[in-house]
Amino acid sequence: MSRTDAPGTDGTDAMGSDMTGTTAPGTTTDAGAPTLTPEDVRRVGEPLDGRVPEVPAEQAWDDRRLHYDLVAPANRRKFTVIVVGTGLAGSGAAAALGELGYQVECFTIHDAPRRAHSVAAQGGINAARARKVDNDSVHRFVKDTVKGGDFRGREADAYRLAQESVRVIDHMNAIGAPFAREYGGRLATRSFGGVQVSRTYYTRGQTGQQLQVAGANALLRQVARGTVTLHTRQEMLDLIVADGRAQGIVVRDLVTGEVRAVTAHAVVLATGGYGNIYCKSTLAKNSNATAAWRAHRRGAHFANPAFIQFHPTALPLMSEWQSKTILMSESLRNDGRIWVPARAGDDRAPADIPEDERDYYLERRYPTYGNLTPRDVASRAARERIDAGHGVGPLRNAVYLDFADAVARLGRETVVSRYSNLFHMYEQATGDDPLRTPMRIAPGAHFAMGGLWSDYDLMTSVPGLFVGGEVGWGYHGANRLGANSLLSACVDGWFTLPYAVPGYLAPLLGSHVLPPDHEAVLDALEAVRARTQRLLRNDGTQGPDRFHRRLGEILYRCAGVTRTPEGLAQGIAEIRALREEFWRDVRVLGEGSALNQELERAGRVADYLEMAELLCVDGLDRDESCGAHFRADHQTPDGEALRDDTTWCRVSAWESPAPDAPDQRFVRHDEPLTFQAVPLQTRNYA
Amino acid sequence: MKLTLDVWRQPDAASPGAFETYVVTDATPEMTLLELLDRLNDQLVAEGREPVAFESDCREGICGCCGVNVDGRPHGPERGTPSCEQHVRSFADGDRVVIEPLRSAAFPVVKDLVVDRSALDRVIQAGGHVAVDAGTAPDADVTTIDHRTAEMALDFAACIGCGACVAACPNGSASLFTGAKLTHLATLPQTRAERGRRAVAMVDQMEHDFGPCSTYGECALVCPAGIPLSAIAAVGKERMRAFLRGRAT
Amino acid sequence: MAVPTSTRPEPGRVPAVARPAPTPPPRPATWALKAVMAVTGLVLVVFAVVHLVGNLKIFLGPEQLDGYAHWLHEDLLAPLVPHGWFIWIFRAVMVTSLVAHVAAGVVLRRRARAARGPYRRQGLRGLRGFQARSMLVTGAVLLFFVVFHVLDITTGTQPAATDEFVAGQAYANIVASFQRPAVAAFYVLAIGTLTLHLAHGLWSVVNDLGATGRRLRATGAALAGGVGLLVLVGNLLIPVAVLTGLVA
Repeated sequence: MSRTDAPGTDGTDAMGSDMTGTTAPGTTTDAGAPTLTPEDVRRVGEPLDGRVPEVPAEQAWDDRRLHYDLVAPANRRKFTVIVVGTGLAGSGAAAALGELGYQVECFTIHDAPRRAHSVAAQGGINAARARKVDNDSVHRFVKDTVKGGDFRGREADAYRLAQESVRVIDHMNAIGAPFAREYGGRLATRSFGGVQVSRTYYTRGQTGQQLQVAGANALLRQVARGTVTLHTRQEMLDLIVADGRAQGIVVRDLVTGEVRAVTAHAVVLATGGYGNIYCKSTLAKNSNATAAWRAHRRGAHFANPAFIQFHPTALPLMSEWQSKTILMSESLRNDGRIWVPARAGDDRAPADIPEDERDYYLERRYPTYGNLTPRDVASRAARERIDAGHGVGPLRNAVYLDFADAVARLGRETVVSRYSNLFHMYEQATGDDPLRTPMRIAPGAHFAMGGLWSDYDLMTSVPGLFVGGEVGWGYHGANRLGANSLLSACVDGWFTLPYAVPGYLAPLLGSHVLPPDHEAVLDALEAVRARTQRLLRNDGTQGPDRFHRRLGEILYRCAGVTRTPEGLAQGIAEIRALREEFWRDVRVLGEGSALNQELERAGRVADYLEMAELLCVDGLDRDESCGAHFRADHQTPDGEALRDDTTWCRVSAWESPAPDAPDQRFVRHDEPLTFQAVPLQTRNYA
Repeated sequence: MKLTLDVWRQPDAASPGAFETYVVTDATPEMTLLELLDRLNDQLVAEGREPVAFESDCREGICGCCGVNVDGRPHGPERGTPSCEQHVRSFADGDRVVIEPLRSAAFPVVKDLVVDRSALDRVIQAGGHVAVDAGTAPDADVTTIDHRTAEMALDFAACIGCGACVAACPNGSASLFTGAKLTHLATLPQTRAERGRRAVAMVDQMEHDFGPCSTYGECALVCPAGIPLSAIAAVGKERMRAFLRGRAT
Repeated sequence: MAVPTSTRPEPGRVPAVARPAPTPPPRPATWALKAVMAVTGLVLVVFAVVHLVGNLKIFLGPEQLDGYAHWLHEDLLAPLVPHGWFIWIFRAVMVTSLVAHVAAGVVLRRRARAARGPYRRQGLRGLRGFQARSMLVTGAVLLFFVVFHVLDITTGTQPAATDEFVAGQAYANIVASFQRPAVAAFYVLAIGTLTLHLAHGLWSVVNDLGATGRRLRATGAALAGGVGLLVLVGNLLIPVAVLTGLVA
């Protein structure tokens, strides 16, 4: 399963021969209509075993915990564990493992652990505490999560998520997250999209920030105690695999440029999702897929890369230089009405369009849920209207979110009190007052349901390499419910990895970490060095940002909210051409021996350019619509997603071809999914 | 819009820095300050010149990464707004804008506009945490916390750690930052146990790198998280309380 | 352009990046110095107010003022302490407070300078910024004034005092002193300085002594402004009265 023949190990031509020059069968890079079929770009390999305990799903976690091996307290300090990333999952895992007594080496690309992008989550964190009489329960939580994910996640994982969610709230509360409280002093909850109970715990619109800061502070407590060594401003650029196990990483010090290897008994990746591959996304500018992609290139399978959630209430692009799509909380849809002009190309000011010439398309198509349909449905409907020429705004790329009716019904004061901070944020970003003129919103790339494939113990296909949080895949299937992402990161970090990692370590007692002169260490170092040098020496004319913007444009067009086989094939061809152009024409100014943000960006864009192809391949290959993956060729007569449970009730875990392999097609490994507690059924929000 | 930018360029901490002047001719009012720098960088790369290093991440005002001095003011001309949400519309066509790193002896320049703010993390590391291990917490509903107390704690917990308060302070004081964390944790009943120990540890660490507060009040004016000025009073309050009552509680 | 590569000998032996600095914090602690400034400053403010109240007796005539001065010197706190002791206890407290206040202020200002580094904060707005930034200057002016004032009115030392100085004749001494326009002008300047220094100082006291409650802070802010105004107006009345001949 593990490959050591990763790109660049020859040290001379790091990435050139393997990903740029080769042409897979069936590619047409010229102007003609692409004729790619899935078979042209992938073959099917061995199926995968998720190693889920063979007991009823609700007992799986208890069963597995009982069977994990333990490490005696006195022996724990003999083990070194690397944790990459300090978001909710990373800081939780590092702190918890440190608390237990393991030696943790923790890495972040940021100047401080608190900056990780978990900080930006607004809405809340779900927990199946079921204190109210609204008939919530662990089982209902699982049902909502599995159904929300359109039956493409693992049911047993969802049970663990629900069962541990109770302790997550208790723990985060105890370490200082000031959750919102009712007047009686109890924890307050609210309801969120896709569920009919109230199970979302929150701290105003800054839940992610409060959890993140509490987690980061808990991590710093372990740093002060000496169990965790924190390395700030260090970027993981490769994984060291030896004897079939992940045994270390190669990092670049972003300030000094020093490239070094760090070896350990196990590696935990908690480096977040890859949504930034779309360039204009709701993610932070530094969120990237490099650590995950480098691990993939060393043998970790990538699950369902095409599953990417588009958030319906992001701000549209308004100018050429806009750097991202700012996210507005979904809660706005509670009182705002979404509409577009009924006539395509209508460019009158919104106030000049009379009521009967407006199309409230969500209310029209989904009378039951109306403006509160789940994210994927809302995003798709918006994109459909925009593509049909009904888009509004200077670039005709948005729909209106109108509060005029809410103001008339509730009064200006009530509406302002509910959404003042969001209105303020909108006004700050756009200069428009949402109470005077309707907000303009558009779907924006947001959350990656796909990620490195892992088994039930969060271990990837490379033994010793674990994942936590958004970098993994498990819980959310093909679509994530709101407020489940903070939870999954917390559960992984605080309450799963601290059981699973020791279970892996226990049999390794007495083994030593790799010596610095081990062949695998030197290989990985050399690969990183060569790749860095190649970027720096490339005699091009365009900075990496320009390629990133073009890649994002391709992906939004070919692998966006709605996909077609032709579009995806076109995307694959365009991505290959862009990648070729990148390695020919990228220009990275500055030096490698100092802080060089261009070099950082270039490395990340290079990885995106590889990964984007796989994303499109997965989308082309998965011949069905499910959750966020909507294929126009698989829909009901009224335009709803049409799943194919006979063929596709499984996870696609991808392996990239070795650079020198004769067959340059990707290899798909399937993990079949079974659902015991929540029977397969069609999502219906109409 | 045409803007003339005087941007601080400094290759590394050890080298001296200086302003360099650039002209961006196609700035638009809806651009953010950081997008203006993106635009400038694209221009510089096209000309074969090294782009300006600056920090930013979420660009939504919550991560606390960004922060530059604009015409001497931390974050920029708009009060209480982080650099990523400052807009070009604050300037007039033809303006000259001076952009330099956040200034404080505790924040050495790493490169160009990037500074090292780890001194703030050392304050947190000294005591800004709670000694509860994973899994040992009691039910969060056992201790009731009245709504107002929870909201007040959140007012102070809102700090995004950007360091603008320090850069705004003519004394280089981190009282607003430290006081916010002390207040947050002293307000909540579940984190109050280590109050004295925490105050001693954090204030001592703060004084190591940062200057004394002279009540300028500039910190609260620039704070993008709206931390109230009363946070600076919490530093003295908590530290003296620990002095008078012993560290334990 | 070379990318340095290295491996490390042993895992877990990497120097900690974010460990607290090993050197101890500055001593005496900044918070303690701030507390000293606050308490001594408060003592000096109380003195300034009481002093003002006493001085306003000038409007009641020479007997009232001179009698009050005599009482302060000889009879206050008697028989708790022997006659004539109070004034020395008072002087000791004043000198101690002043010395501690100035010393702590100088140390703190030096620490502030060091913490800020070479780049001075630009673009300060408003009165508060001016007041805070000029505390050392206003303090120095006040210190000079206090020395002058003691020499002029208390000890009668030349050249600060007038030729007509008579020990114990407070009323006459004050009138004589203020009949010199230059001295009156300097006095007015000093009172203005005092107001700036005292109003900001009191607001700092509110903060440094840990007033975090909303109402307490509002009260403190009002008091700081109120006392500042009182000291300004009250003290200005005297030279104005002398120069206009209202008191002679």
